[in-house]
Amino acid sequence: MEAHEGGSPPEETHPPTGVAALGLPCRIAAAFALAAVAGVACVHLGMVFLHLAPSNTLSKQHAEAIDRWVYPEFEQNWKLFAPNPLQQNIAVQVRAEIRTEDGRTRSVGWTDLSAEDGRAIDGNPAPSHTQQNELRRAWDFFTSSHDEENRPVGSRGRISEEYLRRIVVMRLGRAHGAEVERIQIRSRTLQVQPPAWSGEKASAEPRYRVLPWWLVPDESDAAAGESGGSAGFAASGRARGGAR
Amino acid sequence: MNRSAIALGKLVSKVTDSALGPYQSAVIRIGFAATWLLFLLREFPHRHELYGPDSPWSWELGERLVSDNGAFTVLLWTDSELWFEVVYVFAVLASLLLAVGWRTRAVSVFFMVGVLSLQNRSVFMGDGGDNVIHLMAVYLVFTRCGQVWSLDARRARRREAAGGEQERADVVGPVLWALSAGGLLAVSLSGTTTPDPFVPVLLWTVWAALGAWWLVGRVAPRSDARALFDVVGNIVHNTALLVIMAEACLIYATAGWYKIQGSRWQDGTALHYPLHLDYFSPWPGLADLLASNATMVMLITYGTVAVQVAFPFTLFNRRVKNVLLALMITEHLAIAVVLGLPFFSMAMIVADSVFLPTTFLRRVGDAAGRLTGRFRPDGQSGLASATAPAGTGPGATGSAWVPAQGGPGWAAERAKHGGEPGAAAPGAVAGTAAEAEAEAEAETGAAGTDAGGAGSHGSETSGTGASGGGSTRP
Repeated sequence: MEAHEGGSPPEETHPPTGVAALGLPCRIAAAFALAAVAGVACVHLGMVFLHLAPSNTLSKQHAEAIDRWVYPEFEQNWKLFAPNPLQQNIAVQVRAEIRTEDGRTRSVGWTDLSAEDGRAIDGNPAPSHTQQNELRRAWDFFTSSHDEENRPVGSRGRISEEYLRRIVVMRLGRAHGAEVERIQIRSRTLQVQPPAWSGEKASAEPRYRVLPWWLVPDESDAAAGESGGSAGFAASGRARGGAR
Repeated sequence: MNRSAIALGKLVSKVTDSALGPYQSAVIRIGFAATWLLFLLREFPHRHELYGPDSPWSWELGERLVSDNGAFTVLLWTDSELWFEVVYVFAVLASLLLAVGWRTRAVSVFFMVGVLSLQNRSVFMGDGGDNVIHLMAVYLVFTRCGQVWSLDARRARRREAAGGEQERADVVGPVLWALSAGGLLAVSLSGTTTPDPFVPVLLWTVWAALGAWWLVGRVAPRSDARALFDVVGNIVHNTALLVIMAEACLIYATAGWYKIQGSRWQDGTALHYPLHLDYFSPWPGLADLLASNATMVMLITYGTVAVQVAFPFTLFNRRVKNVLLALMITEHLAIAVVLGLPFFSMAMIVADSVFLPTTFLRRVGDAAGRLTGRFRPDGQSGLASATAPAGTGPGATGSAWVPAQGGPGWAAERAKHGGEPGAAAPGAVAGTAAEAEAEAEAETGAAGTDAGGAGSHGSETSGTGASGGGSTRP
């Protein structure tokens, strides 16, 4: 970009600038700097490219090096609505047993938390991440780290369970102002109907994925934010124990 | 053979002599900082739920994940409520200061720390928009993004007008630098949460380099060493700008090429589906209207894929590139409203704007300058109307503590006073970088065309002062 060369007067009126104005040692240093910076940039773009490209011979061969370069700060995913846009509305629903202030236990029927999100988004020019991403991505996280039988896969499975449970408990607590004792979560998946003019038909029947009941640990966990410590982990261990 | 050597020499002097694309780098600095700032303000009521210690993504969960992936965040140093509030306010302030270009070099680093700390604390809260800002926050650290449209540029102009005397009295820079040392020590000593060395090493490197730069400027302002810092600063800036452009291309290429493989993008109905997702339809009536016409849905569906796939290639032709740029910005404006993704869309539009022609950006800047000038009692044009990159005149010699924001002024100045004209062909230093930069040439080629156009336009506003060596002021 010639922004600095402005009115482009004849070349010869310019004294040398930049590198040309340097003495030899500094010019050599500048050359090394140029080579190094250009080299790093090329490697970086190559790594990011292989990270983004479909798995191929080259990226498989260097998978470890690519991961080490890209994670954690250059991780990215640009499959935006690709290869196909999501074609189903997945709602996370919950029912629960809560303990009211007078100490009695009460049941709360199936509540559609995603529908609550949807209502908060309707007519909202700038939906909050708490409405648009939190529950939606927590459920994605759960399904991607669990098998068909809802058993956790890998270390992230447990983390995703605790995350999902905490979201649900927080929202039930907000709605009912009571202590939550047990919860059961399910998802309801509804196909988005293809456009009328496409002549296609999708099933209008919702599909459900139902998780087992989870015990919610005592309020030390609900208040884990303030108290911190490892109480939350111990408690979640118990919750899972109870759920089996 | 000879001709290619000359071309190489030209290329080398191009990427070493000046920090290219001052307006493009300024517009992405302002854009990304403003996007993140607006996001943080919008989420202010929800900040605890997103990033606070009592978030559903609790402090312990964050800690467990980060100890696994090694991402950088200062939020996990302690689960204190107060610390969280401090970091959030810090992130807000850093975005604000970066947008207005105050001490840009240092503040761009603070901005990155703020972005990474919040996002890495709660990765599952983010979306594509956060991802763009995350990457760009890192890349911006390497750019001289405060050359125009910034308080830094204004300071440089005033210093120039005052004959470079204020610079001696500058204490803010060294103080900021010294304070940063405290923060850096904390980063390094915290040790518990950042097994990945990338960010800490980057922070220390930037800190040390800026310190050395400042010192050399004080001790030996006319030395080769001082000039070398400028040259390396330009190299880093130009490369970072190239990486930012390439990143934008990778985003579109990935989004486009994967779509080609999707059956819904092939059968021309893809657009219909996102419009009917409960999480992405704040205006169902509008979505229905858009999705009602089969032909329109098909055209937009195919058009989206075509534009995304084609965009990187159109960089070789300025006019076609600008048409596509306009299309992409329009589409993102539509996405902002129809899919309820204003911050994602804003981030993408900012990423697009790195490809905007300099002439266009200057016109926008001048208009904004006139607009703000109207409200100024002294009639002085404000930030926006700074037409010439700061630090291009002699006043920029040993420019303050934020040296990287200066243009090629120093080298030019030195050349005027003591350089050896034509001592050697610049091509001589190209060496092994040649191949690497060949790609750079291709990339910046199109953008260069734009800026080139600006060159002639610029001659009326900033005169030849913008060329190396001359001063914009008598």
